[in-house]
Amino acid sequence: MSAVQAFLEGTIRTATPLAFAALGETVVERAGIINIGLEGAIIAGAMGGFTAAGAAGTWAGFAGAGIAGLFVAVVFAFFAIRLRADQIITGTAITLFFLGATATLYRQLYGVTGAALTSPTMPVTPIPLLSSIPVIGQPLFAQPAITYLLYVLIPCVWWCMYRTHFGLGLRASGESAKAAQAAGVPVSRIRFIAVLFGGLLGGIAGGVLVIAQAGSFAEGMSAGRGFIAIAVVVLGRWHPLGVVAAALVFAAASALQYLFQAMGWNIPYQTFLALPYVLTLLGLAGIAGKATAPAALGQWQS
Amino acid sequence: MKLFALVICPIAVTLGACSSKPDTTDSASKHTFKVALLTPGPISDKSWNGGAYQGLMAIHDTLGAEVSHIQTKTPAEFDENFRQYGAKGFNLVFGHGFEFQDAAVRVARAYPNTVYVTTSGTSVGKNLAGVDFSFEEASYIAGLVAGRMTKSNVIGLIGGTELPPVKSSFEAFEKGAQTVNPKVKFLVSYIGNWDDASAGKEQAIAQISRGADVIMQNADAAGLGVFQAIKETKGVWIIGSNSNQNTIFPSQTLGSIVINLPRAFLLIAREVQKGNFIGHVFSLGLPEGVVEYTANPTVTSNIPVSVAATADSIQRQMSAGTFKGNVLPDSARKQPAR
Repeated sequence: MSAVQAFLEGTIRTATPLAFAALGETVVERAGIINIGLEGAIIAGAMGGFTAAGAAGTWAGFAGAGIAGLFVAVVFAFFAIRLRADQIITGTAITLFFLGATATLYRQLYGVTGAALTSPTMPVTPIPLLSSIPVIGQPLFAQPAITYLLYVLIPCVWWCMYRTHFGLGLRASGESAKAAQAAGVPVSRIRFIAVLFGGLLGGIAGGVLVIAQAGSFAEGMSAGRGFIAIAVVVLGRWHPLGVVAAALVFAAASALQYLFQAMGWNIPYQTFLALPYVLTLLGLAGIAGKATAPAALGQWQS
Repeated sequence: MKLFALVICPIAVTLGACSSKPDTTDSASKHTFKVALLTPGPISDKSWNGGAYQGLMAIHDTLGAEVSHIQTKTPAEFDENFRQYGAKGFNLVFGHGFEFQDAAVRVARAYPNTVYVTTSGTSVGKNLAGVDFSFEEASYIAGLVAGRMTKSNVIGLIGGTELPPVKSSFEAFEKGAQTVNPKVKFLVSYIGNWDDASAGKEQAIAQISRGADVIMQNADAAGLGVFQAIKETKGVWIIGSNSNQNTIFPSQTLGSIVINLPRAFLLIAREVQKGNFIGHVFSLGLPEGVVEYTANPTVTSNIPVSVAATADSIQRQMSAGTFKGNVLPDSARKQPAR
């Protein structure tokens, strides 16, 4: 396998969970809600996916992951939308709670030594013809089926956001909840649906980590991806296609990091580990143009 | 505890809190022996942290101690957790890893009745001890096997973060591999944490793409991802660390560098319970039966007899104390600070 091939394949694999989570968060934020609890949805999805996949196979695993993510989203929505609690604090509490709860549950279910360590994994399914395109064929089209679901989902989210009545209402809720409400847009309902969708995708992102990648659950294995995904949303300027591109940039930097370390160069490894984060920081600092958040993000009235 | 009784009692007598004839065994029977453990990661990792928890449970089962465990999240919590146990009157607190050492030094002074032990630590005091797991010897043996088993002459090493014990274990491993195969090249990658199994897998895939056909991992929970990468790549061997990981994926696992943490924990706890604890660095390795290279029995038929025999004979020499070689390269002479 050439280095370029390894790099590209690593990029797509690393981008997949990130893009799922970030795409969901994009919808949430465009509706005017910021869900810091995304990390909690990812780890819950990982745990749910691990349990369900072990019981009934990989697709059931993804269903379990999605349901676990949905559950986290319902908890968030209840506090942040129904009770109008502060979104940042609610989200933080949710992340902390689910990082702890999944660890406890895992130990209850599988014992502290982790007897049921492995979960079934989704095999790579190359798409005929497409996967034989030189250079990009293998990385893009020789992936587990869940990655193809992401490919389908991206244009769907874009279309729904910019070409449907619902999407218009969603964006209006994010820009000015008051004006949207006055125009008859059911802001709370739209925000609720958006948060659920975000939780669903966050859960699936966790499922990807377990079922399509690591093949086992480890406590805290979300490893900050929820927060990276939130940064990726900003980096992608709250546009579905931009966000996917930003997820690819971050993933590419990670894949480069893996490869650089494996080159055996005599450079402190921390330099490489920092690479994706430095790039993200530069992007967030405005290298890629000014960032304008949805005007009503994180607020109730504006 | 004798030592502390000598020092503390004159003060305590004046306060009327101590009997005129201090008897440590008496106080030990009156109060339950209480032991706590702080781990830097989840105890379900089947590795460094899981082994420590089994050690704690062994203390509970064998010595009848009351036990408590906390998984720490950030170094900022180390002091606070150490203090908590000191204040609750625990007899023995383990900080499981080199990273706990500084906090233990700070807190031990404030709670003289509690013994603080940091595994892989080197600081000692009246109620403070370190444990030096001689991980290098077993790593050297693993290296001997890996050096003979590689066909590509590229061996990968994957760690969580570059802690001193991890680094020196890698160095001993490399020395071992080079002894039997001077042509071998090493790729060393660190994941940056001990939990991200997905990143662990990617590090392994990257090394495999650079030609590695034997990978030794010491990354706790994140190491499970390394195993997954091996599972998906035929013809690549893995060597496990800390616990016996030979059963995770037996068909491509050469062996594991196993620390028998329960044994080590029991050994120390017994000394503390009996009251003959003296603050020093417990040096526990092959001779004490605490660290060893355990070959994977499932793949015996795939490993040349001469390779297994060499590993066996050197391991026997080491545990008998008759091994004359140096397990670390000259540049990394074995320092007390591991």
